[in-house]
Amino acid sequence: MSSTLPELGAETAVPAVAHAPAVPTAQRPSRRAFVFLGALAATAFVPGTARAQAARRTLRPTDRKPAIDPGTMRPSESVAAPADWTSITGRLVRRATMGVMPAEMTRATEFGYQGYLNYQLNHTRINDDAVEAVVTAKWPLMSQTSDVLFGADSGTLRNQLQESTLYRAAFSQRQLYHRMVELWSDHFNQDYDKVGYLLVTDQRDVIRANALGTFPALLKASAHSASMMLYLDQQTSRATAPNQNYAREVMELHTLGVDGGYTQTDVAELSRVLSGWTFTGKGQFVFNPAFHDTGTKTVLGVTIAGQTGAAGINEGEQMLDVLAKHPSTAKFIATKMLRWLLDPNPTDAQVSTVASVYKATGGDIKSMIRVILNDSWLPASPMKLKRPFHFLASALRSTNPTVTAMSQMNSQLSNMGHLSYTWDTPDGYPDKIEYWAGNIVPRWAFAQALANLNSATTIAVDTKPYLAGSPDAAVEMIDLNFFAKEMPAATKTAMLAYLKGGTFNDARMRETLSLAIGANAFQWY
Amino acid sequence: MDESPNDCGCEEYNELSRRQFVSAAATMSAAALFPAWLPKIVLAKSASSRDIIVSVFMRGGADGLSLCVPFAEPNYYVSRPTIGVPRPDDAKATRGINLDGFFMFPQGMAGLVPAFTLQDLLVVHATGQLNVNRSHFDAQRFMEVGKPIDPSLVTGWLGRHLASVPPLKPTASLRALGVAGGLQKTLVAPMGGTLYPTKTLPIADPTNYTIGGATATQAQRLTFMQGDYAAAAEPVRSSALDAVNTVALLKTVPFAAYKPANAAVYPTSSFGKALRSVAVLIKNDIGIEAAQVDIGGWDTHSAEDPTAGSLFKTMQDFSNSLGAFYADVIATGYAVTVVAVSEFGRNVRENGSAGTDHGRGTVMFAMGKGIAGGRVLTKNWPGLAKEQQEAGQDLKVTLDYKDVLAEIVQNRLGNPNLGFVFPTWTPQMLGVTR
Repeated sequence: MSSTLPELGAETAVPAVAHAPAVPTAQRPSRRAFVFLGALAATAFVPGTARAQAARRTLRPTDRKPAIDPGTMRPSESVAAPADWTSITGRLVRRATMGVMPAEMTRATEFGYQGYLNYQLNHTRINDDAVEAVVTAKWPLMSQTSDVLFGADSGTLRNQLQESTLYRAAFSQRQLYHRMVELWSDHFNQDYDKVGYLLVTDQRDVIRANALGTFPALLKASAHSASMMLYLDQQTSRATAPNQNYAREVMELHTLGVDGGYTQTDVAELSRVLSGWTFTGKGQFVFNPAFHDTGTKTVLGVTIAGQTGAAGINEGEQMLDVLAKHPSTAKFIATKMLRWLLDPNPTDAQVSTVASVYKATGGDIKSMIRVILNDSWLPASPMKLKRPFHFLASALRSTNPTVTAMSQMNSQLSNMGHLSYTWDTPDGYPDKIEYWAGNIVPRWAFAQALANLNSATTIAVDTKPYLAGSPDAAVEMIDLNFFAKEMPAATKTAMLAYLKGGTFNDARMRETLSLAIGANAFQWY
Repeated sequence: MDESPNDCGCEEYNELSRRQFVSAAATMSAAALFPAWLPKIVLAKSASSRDIIVSVFMRGGADGLSLCVPFAEPNYYVSRPTIGVPRPDDAKATRGINLDGFFMFPQGMAGLVPAFTLQDLLVVHATGQLNVNRSHFDAQRFMEVGKPIDPSLVTGWLGRHLASVPPLKPTASLRALGVAGGLQKTLVAPMGGTLYPTKTLPIADPTNYTIGGATATQAQRLTFMQGDYAAAAEPVRSSALDAVNTVALLKTVPFAAYKPANAAVYPTSSFGKALRSVAVLIKNDIGIEAAQVDIGGWDTHSAEDPTAGSLFKTMQDFSNSLGAFYADVIATGYAVTVVAVSEFGRNVRENGSAGTDHGRGTVMFAMGKGIAGGRVLTKNWPGLAKEQQEAGQDLKVTLDYKDVLAEIVQNRLGNPNLGFVFPTWTPQMLGVTR
């Protein structure tokens, strides 16, 4: 395609030297570069309504006092938990899992609040063989080496990764662990479209390996992940022209936080420190001394003598240690975990308490969770809106269907705007109520789709137990399976009325299940 | 070239247009000079006195020096030996499209040349946020909020605009939408007091907004939801109740049968589809007065190549989609203003990966019949010489994006409450609007 406007040198072009505008262009006479086009605009394109309104234009702000000070107005992020949630064990199960279901409630009631929390925290002692066996059988690529993954069909691999992630989240016995896998997957977010097969190894060797370990170990594993190197362009960084992408995000998003006290100079200097961090072959992290800037650097006030050869990697390792131990990191991670598990607006005292646990334990994630989910903070905390991934996993737990294939669930997640590994920027999916609150119709559509699934090749939701008794008994069963016997009375009355408003049969029962999944009370945890 | 369809019966304009086309073809090197539809007059379809706004966010930090290239700045080519776009007088096919002798569009932006030529597209350069912030997420947030630094303000400028003007159509059940899986910050609105309900929803795909299931029971199931969410906490309550009404409303909108005017062709990209849906909603006159549409792909840290690579493709999607929207909606007389912003620009100098890292000044766009377009607006163009750069690396921000938006909010959207929409900011009116 060639130029669609006159070439330079046409009568109307302004000499380049004339343009170095010392005055705003707005104040200069408008250059009508193309006379005939100007004529065209003035005749054939006589304006419609818009130009008729030109008289309304004014060049002075005509301000009027706002009715309300905008600084005081915000959408409520803190939503008080409903009075129906009387059981504190129930509150713990809602927070520590992807959703209530009778078996989980029975276990929590048996173990008690602290016992159940300990049980979930000691995740390696929970036998999860059954779920892992399903994953191995249905999504065999998940246990392959990066060499094999490299040769796999990209679409197949992506589906296997997304589907197995959702399946584990819904059905693993290690529920709290998978809540943390979800958090860290967003914290160290990557986009499958950019990193492809490498993300499978990142999820396995970085996120799942460290989700309930220590934060410094998690950070280090991520920094040595080929997938992360590729995602944040670190592998393109050279001593002569370092790429700042990873250096910035590792401070802004992974450790210190945007207000954590680093400057643009620190970003530039850290990018020099990290030059040479890259990967090779089919996803092997490597430090390449040839790309490394061996000069002296200063990052966050720490002076780092340049090292040559293979020892150059030590500079980066040293800085990762500095970042992991930095007080801003303790505060940032404490805040993030509090928001995730407890309250969108944690108090300063809560942040400082959890940050001190971080400092005292070397960033031990379990120790922080133990404090965050203590039995006085949690009952007093507001409720949180489930994100679509969480909501979908909840619905799978409460309907407890026979799962043969998960592909439909993947597309449902996509409809709800929360398909795993497709958020393309490194901040990860938001966990903000104002972001997700309006996205309700796709949830209702999903509720309908899941409740009506009765397929031997995909997912089968069994209505027979509900239809075995009366409509009243069916709604009681819904209360047990979906709401841990804490369904709001008004919802229960309306649901029963709906069920009784038609023939008590499979179709009506499925519609009633869709109302349970779509109901307001089911969206929160 | 085909003659334009004569929908309006304005024979003289078609005559005129043919003559002009001939003269244009004689003086210009390009064959694809005008789309066939261009010289055509139509009557305004909307009688409203305020424009509808389509707000576009280019997420990732768009490289303003590639989107609208100051080719007459000598240091541009020195700083970008690999990714520089050839001058308009270069022989290469990838040469830029001269705009005013100083700035040019790369070929990837060709889709917006008609709107520029007809003086309905304004390019604003060396713009952005005066407060330095090189974090994507902070910079996007504060840009969408419309006030720098203040972490306590969580609503967006467009949400506050909607909350402070009465609905364009009093009966509208959907005033605004974000074409997205979740509501963009720009549209997050305050509620309560004397404010107007903003009736705003994120709708990822307006063509398929349904709860599904048996048609016979849909209304009954929605009635259950309406009752159940009446007791929900805000902002979920309002959203759910608006959603119930919107399901019924969008069912009446004939998306599938839609034929864009002027034979406009929207790209099949998500951005193109989103703008197409917005066009259908606007033309069906259901009371939509704002839409927020996002386009990603601007975070060009490596291999950006604005002449054929990743940035070229992103720009092509951007300009062809907005070009189609221009032909389909704006050129046909609908009172619509489009604005497009990005959180920051990129370093003047390319990095070692043939890309660019986070910078400062960039471009923004405003388009509409009420926009004083056809030019590149700058305010004390800072220059690109090393000593003219901010922190020795970036195009300076000399024009705050809020000045442009504020003038549009006041003069095109008819909202005098600028202190509410852009708190603590005293805008300078730059003559962005006609």
